[in-house]
Amino acid sequence: MAVPILKQGDVLVASIQVALTDSDLVELRDRLAEQVGRHRSRGVILDVTVLDVLDSFAARTLRSIAQTARLRGAHTVVVGIQPEVAFGMVQLGLSLEDVSTALDLEEGLAHLRAVLERRGHHVR
Amino acid sequence: MQQGRSQALVHEMGLDEANIDRRMKAVGFEPSDLPNIEAIKDAVVAHVDDYNKTFFDHLSRLEEARPLLTSVALLDRAKQLKRAHIVAMVGGDYGLLYAEQRLELASLYAAAGLDTRAFLGAFHHLLKHIGVDLMKQPERASLERFESFMSLKKVAFFDIALIVDVLVFERERVIRQQQEAIRELSTPVLQVRNRMLLLPIIGIIDTLRARLITESLLSSVRQNRAKVVVMDVTGVATIDSKVANHILQTVTAARLMGAEVIVTGLSADVAQSLAAIGIDLSKLNTVGDLQGGMEEAEQILGYRVLQASAVAPTAPLAS
Amino acid sequence: MSGDVHVAIERDADIVTARQRGRELAREVGFSGTEQTLITLAISEIARNIVSYARRGGMTLTRVQDAGRSGISIVARDEGPGIPDIELAMRDGYSTGKSLGVGLPGSRRVVDEFVLTSTVGVGTTITMKKWLR
Repeated sequence: MAVPILKQGDVLVASIQVALTDSDLVELRDRLAEQVGRHRSRGVILDVTVLDVLDSFAARTLRSIAQTARLRGAHTVVVGIQPEVAFGMVQLGLSLEDVSTALDLEEGLAHLRAVLERRGHHVR
Repeated sequence: MQQGRSQALVHEMGLDEANIDRRMKAVGFEPSDLPNIEAIKDAVVAHVDDYNKTFFDHLSRLEEARPLLTSVALLDRAKQLKRAHIVAMVGGDYGLLYAEQRLELASLYAAAGLDTRAFLGAFHHLLKHIGVDLMKQPERASLERFESFMSLKKVAFFDIALIVDVLVFERERVIRQQQEAIRELSTPVLQVRNRMLLLPIIGIIDTLRARLITESLLSSVRQNRAKVVVMDVTGVATIDSKVANHILQTVTAARLMGAEVIVTGLSADVAQSLAAIGIDLSKLNTVGDLQGGMEEAEQILGYRVLQASAVAPTAPLAS
Repeated sequence: MSGDVHVAIERDADIVTARQRGRELAREVGFSGTEQTLITLAISEIARNIVSYARRGGMTLTRVQDAGRSGISIVARDEGPGIPDIELAMRDGYSTGKSLGVGLPGSRRVVDEFVLTSTVGVGTTITMKKWLR
């Protein structure tokens, strides 16, 4: 099940709709890397609101998406992690390290805008 | 409704065939008891209404039983169930279904607030009456009559154990609910400004409490769309490596949801001694005291706090 | 009372199935939303272990009762290469393959009982239990 990636100006928004398998996640990572390069995107938002669990593989893939995007000049924000999901992650000992997070899509966009403006880019 | 309740109780109390077997073993019930009971079955069933009356007459003389006796609906149902109980006691089938039927009466007692002493007194009174009648049976040898009564007594003690367990279980349920309420009270999450929460932690943090604090903080973050949380640990009794790890976990979890956490009230001594045992608090955003933490939180949110006197030094205070 | 749920674990799609079945059963048993998530996480990690190292195996999810408690039992079996040094594998951060090494120790942290038995060349069995509070 491919995750739809929407291009909104300088920002790519990937909103996950259903539970993903490991290979779905890997595919998402590769497609995002490709599209960030192609569109010269400045920001990536990963909307995980619908996910009821984020395990070690998912956490690692989210970190790797952010890392790859950063190498190509884009800042990533993960949005919509639910309270139970966040709780489960810390109990298991998982973290997203320095990946930015925000409450929801709206907050994520506001956060991106602030980060990019600080860097002298204006979000289109 | 009571019946659904007793089925739920069977689950909650973990009653299954194995548990019933252990209970029967506890009262020393053996297959050889079955023919003993069979021998008195007809005699007991013939007088079931007398025995039932005896039981409730005894209760009616006790102040402790008043809550049950004053509700006509409850009393009628109790009489029905008790009658069925006496018949089943000599029925020879003491499996899970038997236990479940006794639970219905027990949960009715619990709901009516029947005192355990009153119940035990009435049950003993009932047994005494059955025993006296059995001793009068002329056609059987006295030893056989005695053995029959002792076998019946095992069933009675099995029943008593079950009913007392339900009474205790239901009483503990109230205690469990109260504990839950106290726990909730002890981890207040306060919204002090739009999108800003204050989490004052007082007392001892153990693993269970840390979980509750984290859970209630995370759901408050979502409910209030909080962006900044000030977590004040001034009132935490001792901060050792375990407690520090709990604090770190709570902060990490809130961050995953996009909320920034400022920890206040960590003394320099505590921070240093934690660093000495290898606990890195450098990733925490710490501010010395609560006031400083609140100011920092306001800055993050973009508030500018000015003293009223600095803005309008001569303006009179509005009342 | 519901019976056992058995899930064959061979492909990564099976990890998702095991997770979903586990959450359904945990909900039926009466676990809170948070505890359902912890159970789902442990199932996910253990199922992935099978896919990554053993290629094929299975997982059995059961509602359990003991001494007045209800809970869920998760038994994962595989006929993979086995784990030569269990103590090392249970240490945080250790991994021989693709995972970051939080899977096994992390799962043990979020359940009440965790038993791992493994014979090199024969396979691995992990039994986890979590009880209602």
